[in-house]
Amino acid sequence: MKLPIHVSEESRVPIYHQVENQIKTLIIGGQLPPETPLPSIRVLASDLGCSVITTRRAYQNLEVGGFIKTVQGKGTFVREIEKVIKQETKQKVVYDAFEKAVDQGKQVGCTKEEMHQIFKEVIKRNFKENGG
Amino acid sequence: MGISLLDVIGLEKKFQNFQLGPMDLKVEQGMVVGLVGANGSGKSTLFKLLMNILRKDNGQILLFGKNVEKNEIEVKQKVGFAGDLLDPYGHLTIEELAGMIAYWYPTWNKEQFNHLIKKYNINTEEKFGKCSKGTKKKVEFIFSLSHDSALLLLDEPTAGVDIVSQRKMKEDLILFMEEGERSIIIATHNADEINQLCDDIVVLQAGKIIYSFNKDEVYENWAKLWVSRVPDELANHPNVILFSTNTPVQVVTNNAHKIERVLQSKQVSISHSQRLTMEEVFEYLIET
Repeated sequence: MKLPIHVSEESRVPIYHQVENQIKTLIIGGQLPPETPLPSIRVLASDLGCSVITTRRAYQNLEVGGFIKTVQGKGTFVREIEKVIKQETKQKVVYDAFEKAVDQGKQVGCTKEEMHQIFKEVIKRNFKENGG
Repeated sequence: MGISLLDVIGLEKKFQNFQLGPMDLKVEQGMVVGLVGANGSGKSTLFKLLMNILRKDNGQILLFGKNVEKNEIEVKQKVGFAGDLLDPYGHLTIEELAGMIAYWYPTWNKEQFNHLIKKYNINTEEKFGKCSKGTKKKVEFIFSLSHDSALLLLDEPTAGVDIVSQRKMKEDLILFMEEGERSIIIATHNADEINQLCDDIVVLQAGKIIYSFNKDEVYENWAKLWVSRVPDELANHPNVILFSTNTPVQVVTNNAHKIERVLQSKQVSISHSQRLTMEEVFEYLIET
């Protein structure tokens, strides 16, 4: 299985960190349910064009964080994660996404007021259409 | 870090018009090392020295921690080599060649050999000398993978090989590495192979290693920065590889963090920064 993750050419965030965060997002979002097998560090490195040092580090961090587990001789799998971690990570993912959006807004010269306005509109549009 | 499968110390070989080394090289367990360099930079010579097909003048070669000359048979049985060695046996069929190689290697894995012969669609009744360049490459590759080796030495294994077989070879090399305690040294001119297979890169030029690095270090450190202007401090900075003062004003660096600090201190704004592809990096490395 090829994971839908992507190493950004623009981001200065270390590659292992990008990989770690994207896999976390897929697990928290439910796209990778518990017990899903993950590609080996060698296969993932090949897919992403990085070295196994990077993918090993990302997997080690995910394992320490309780997101994945390695079964000797069988491979790496998604773990059942606790609700608290799920909630915390969910918030962090959203927080980071907003952080990035604001960063890009600043780059194109958006003011604080303009960004507030855009934020309100996006929220309004998205939640109205979904009836939420 | 881990155990090294290959240690080269002070290796030297002189020819009338070419000198390899002095050279140091280390290959750790679990790593794929890409050997990159222009034609005639010494890649094939290095492989022949490692295999003790060519006699070195000076230095030491340790395979699995053991001296190659003193333990030649023992250590070579654990090395899979593919690099135009079989041409003198062109009069033999692939079947006959396999018989000969199986005799040399007690760990010959007939099942694996048959599996690969089928996978790559090889007619074993054909004489090796009559095969196309790509087929010869595939046959050598199959032999190197058929005796349970711990280290593969591959000299441009996919040169002249069709695209579908190239993909299969990449898959087989990834599978080979899944075992975790093995290593590969692969000489290649193919950027895809470097991107998809290699962990470390060694650049050879005129018989010497001019660069040796982990692939991700390059991704993290090399960058192209779009800036408002190029301050004087950067014009001759050792970490600036290239800059252009025409719009868009750009700086190419091999140490983005350091250059960003210089730019910040000079109040120069960075509008955009981008990692370089491996191909771009090679172009700069070989130009400079």
